[in-house]
Amino acid sequence: MSLPDLVLSIADNKQMLGLRYAEWATRAPSLEADIAAAAMGLDDLGHSRVLYGCLEPLGADPRGPERESDAGSLRNLAYFDQPWSEWSQFVAANAILDTAFTVMIEACVGGSVEVLQHRLRKMLMEERYHFLHGRSWLRSGIDKEPLERAWREAIEFFGPPDGETETLRRDGKLSMGPAQQRTRLEEQLEARAPRVDIDWRAWDPIRRRTARGAIDEHTFGMLRGLEEKKYAPTAAKG
Amino acid sequence: MTSGYKRVSGDAVEYEVFARKSRVDALHLVGSVVAPDDDLAMAYARATYDEERWCEMAIVRKEHVIELWQPGEA
Repeated sequence: MSLPDLVLSIADNKQMLGLRYAEWATRAPSLEADIAAAAMGLDDLGHSRVLYGCLEPLGADPRGPERESDAGSLRNLAYFDQPWSEWSQFVAANAILDTAFTVMIEACVGGSVEVLQHRLRKMLMEERYHFLHGRSWLRSGIDKEPLERAWREAIEFFGPPDGETETLRRDGKLSMGPAQQRTRLEEQLEARAPRVDIDWRAWDPIRRRTARGAIDEHTFGMLRGLEEKKYAPTAAKG
Repeated sequence: MTSGYKRVSGDAVEYEVFARKSRVDALHLVGSVVAPDDDLAMAYARATYDEERWCEMAIVRKEHVIELWQPGEA
């Protein structure tokens, strides 16, 4: 697992987070929350584009042709595999996973790699409002199940205590390793992570998850542009 | 709209949103949001009124605005 692998993982997760946020732009509990879901979705889709744009300057773009046909080659957390059916799932992702991605981006900005230092800094300003949104909704109380799942997947995203993410920290490329990132997330959310037992032997260092599976067919089709083609006039189909 | 109209219900609070595009402009009212706390109100204000490149944005609880007089009273 190299630094470009990690950046691609953040990018894929931001892309999926943005899409899942956008799905709630007309289903949230209030008009303001609808608008916030749409705005945060656009922010995260924009962030993913910036992150994808960092891959070439980093020297090795890990994206291969399999991404065109195999949903399992995308590096998103399992939390984004299926559309969310409950507002609690939205809030847990917004408060915990979005903040976990921000913590990883902070680690990139605080590291020694110039392209990440410069290009990712603005994201941190925009993410402040995602954090305020998530934390406020979290305080209003949500179901336990999505909350615990989001914590577990955030810890999996940070990686094992002595894995390659920690090596990137020791090399100075990241300013925080998995342990510091977890502490930072807990400080931000003013909450301790629940006790989770993760079998790191089952952890996929490329996709940063232990669960098998991939995003649903409809979402993958949309990412590939297939859904747009389905509704296009016959002459436009290629 | 009657003068007694309120957008809020329950614990929600109405906030006025102010912004300006440059330092030489004065802050002016650009709209309002309804939220149960200041954090969410900031997130909503930024999401709702972010279509312009504001150099400054601020929110204030509507109940904290001290009215001197209303339309028709001057």
